[in-house]
Amino acid sequence: MNLLSTIEISSQLVTLMAALMLVVQLLMVVQRMLFTNIRLFAIQSLLLAGIATVVAYAHHAGHVYIVAVLTFIGKVLFLPWLLNRLVRRIQIHQEIEPLLNAPASMLVCGGLTLLGYVVARPFTSLERLGNNTLAVAITLLLTGFFLMINRRKAITQVLALLTIENGVMLAAVALTSYGMPLVVELGIFFDVMVAVMVLGILVYRIRESFASMDTSKLNQLKG
Amino acid sequence: MSLLAPILIVPLSAGLLCLLVRSRRAMQGLNVLAFAATLVLGVCLILEVLARDEVNEWNAFFRADALSAFMVLLISVVSLATSLYAGRYFQRDLAANVVTTGRVREFFVLTPLFAAGMFLVVLANNLGVMWAAVEGTALTSVLLVALYNRRTSLEAAWKYVMLGGLGLALALFGTVLLYAAASKDQTERLPSFNWSHLMSVAHELDPRLVKLAFAFALVGYGTKAGLAPMHTWLPDAHSEAPSPTSAMLSGVSLKIALYALLRFHILTTACVDSAFSRHLLLGFGLFSMFLAAPFILVQRNLKRMLAYSSLEHVGLICVGIAMNTSVTIFGALLHMGYHALTKPVLFFAAGNIHQTFHTLEFRLIGSGVVKVLPVTVLLMGLAAMAAAGLPPFGLFFSELTVISGGIAAGKVAVSVLVLVALIACFCGILQQLTRILLGARQRERTSDARPTDGLAAMALLLGALLVFSVWLPGPLLELMRQAAGIIGGKP
Repeated sequence: MNLLSTIEISSQLVTLMAALMLVVQLLMVVQRMLFTNIRLFAIQSLLLAGIATVVAYAHHAGHVYIVAVLTFIGKVLFLPWLLNRLVRRIQIHQEIEPLLNAPASMLVCGGLTLLGYVVARPFTSLERLGNNTLAVAITLLLTGFFLMINRRKAITQVLALLTIENGVMLAAVALTSYGMPLVVELGIFFDVMVAVMVLGILVYRIRESFASMDTSKLNQLKG
Repeated sequence: MSLLAPILIVPLSAGLLCLLVRSRRAMQGLNVLAFAATLVLGVCLILEVLARDEVNEWNAFFRADALSAFMVLLISVVSLATSLYAGRYFQRDLAANVVTTGRVREFFVLTPLFAAGMFLVVLANNLGVMWAAVEGTALTSVLLVALYNRRTSLEAAWKYVMLGGLGLALALFGTVLLYAAASKDQTERLPSFNWSHLMSVAHELDPRLVKLAFAFALVGYGTKAGLAPMHTWLPDAHSEAPSPTSAMLSGVSLKIALYALLRFHILTTACVDSAFSRHLLLGFGLFSMFLAAPFILVQRNLKRMLAYSSLEHVGLICVGIAMNTSVTIFGALLHMGYHALTKPVLFFAAGNIHQTFHTLEFRLIGSGVVKVLPVTVLLMGLAAMAAAGLPPFGLFFSELTVISGGIAAGKVAVSVLVLVALIACFCGILQQLTRILLGARQRERTSDARPTDGLAAMALLLGALLVFSVWLPGPLLELMRQAAGIIGGKP
């Protein structure tokens, strides 16, 4: 197989997986079961790890393999396990009550996707592999914001923050030929892991003193 | 002789050692020792930077120029005062049964780690590492904000970590975009993301991408720096955190985020060669100042009022830098330093008042605190005069420097707006504080305070403020000139 076709196939693979990441994100927006949401996040992270692997293979960039492996271990295995354990320990209802219902949320996210594509258009020349990866990254960011506003449960807000982070990492892999320098990738990875643990501690304490995880009850501080 | 690595390693190891030692005294001693050591190292670093312009270490992983050295000095001084104050503060908290010994240990472990994160922000050469360090400071300080585990402090911590997390995600996106700009058309495999390298290729970067990166960094790091309208976490976190932590947050943590933003600003200006980033900074700075003023006037909670006052000062620093003349930038840096010496004193005094009256509400504290806590009120009054911008304190001179520099540069409208906001905040702070500090005592106090509580820490900072207000040592002056030059874009 000559080099050109490898690049072409890789490019199409990256495009496909980025699109699937977006599909998973939209599923998260309409899905109301908490455990399913955690699983969806794991699938999205798996796709991200896949994209990193393809990029590493296409560019022969050894250290991007490390990024892929870290993403797999951290975001596909460890974090979903941690969040599942947290959900079980605090025994909450597994239903999420969103503010907007599913159809309305879908409409909003459709608008946000359009916006993402419009913002990313001038920069399409930058992409190394795949088409529209930057647009997908920006859309993940925007829908992540929407998820955060639309859900009141503390754990779902943590999940929303993690999907935003996935979007940023997608941009990091897609916009640069070889990803970021390894020391930066390691720093980001370490920070995300610690962040989720800290958030877990906080969620646990909030649950203990409020007897619920509903963040709309956090409304005493004003002015 | 390496300087930069020890500045990081000393507080880091002190924090980890606090996990092992038994007594509270030993933990506080470790904290004080560590920060005293970093202060000495910081002074050595200043002399080194003045001699060599910049210091690189560990294969250029660490780098310090005049601006970083100045920030190191601020972090060390404020952290030292905080650790001096914290011992007695938590002793009284333990006596009143509001915290457990485990929580106090948490404080003494996390505070040096928090400081080490801030040191890494200003010493990192690589902008990605700088981002990771800012995130690190956010994560350590969240647990400090939630230390008391009251409902309100959990709420404050949640808001802080969520808004901070969002902001930092945006800042990371800005960082990624900047790296994409730096690695465009690169022949080498992994282009460097080091500050020194970026500055050397700044004029070759894609201006559109750099502008977009700056916009993301502004919203992201601006959230951490407490710029309005992303400031909503700030009064909550400051009022609910233990007073020593509030002092660290206001005194240096906000300015560390501002430092990260300034790095982007310097790079953007070098690349785009227009006033794009300056206009944005000016807008956010002015908006912060004008938003703070009414909130100070109507505030009912002492520490929330102090937090809004910090918002106003951060706004002024941004405006001074945005006006971009050598005079106003120097004034902004002066202001940064003086504010770091002033605001912690106010928070320490607020901590004493809080522990004596068990409330921070002006209404419940009542008037005539001077009859109960004479020494605290004396020091607090001096610090409040400084924060409101009265002479002979340095903040008066730095505010005047910014305004006069602005007028001299022909930016009269902005200078007048700044003056109006400053006068409004001045009235607010003095009016609110005289109401509780002076007058006759109406209520009975609820617990005893020794008059010397927190005296060492407050006297240290106020003394430094007074000395530096009338006399800046030659090396320090030279350092700040160089730092102002770096921000102003002089090679």
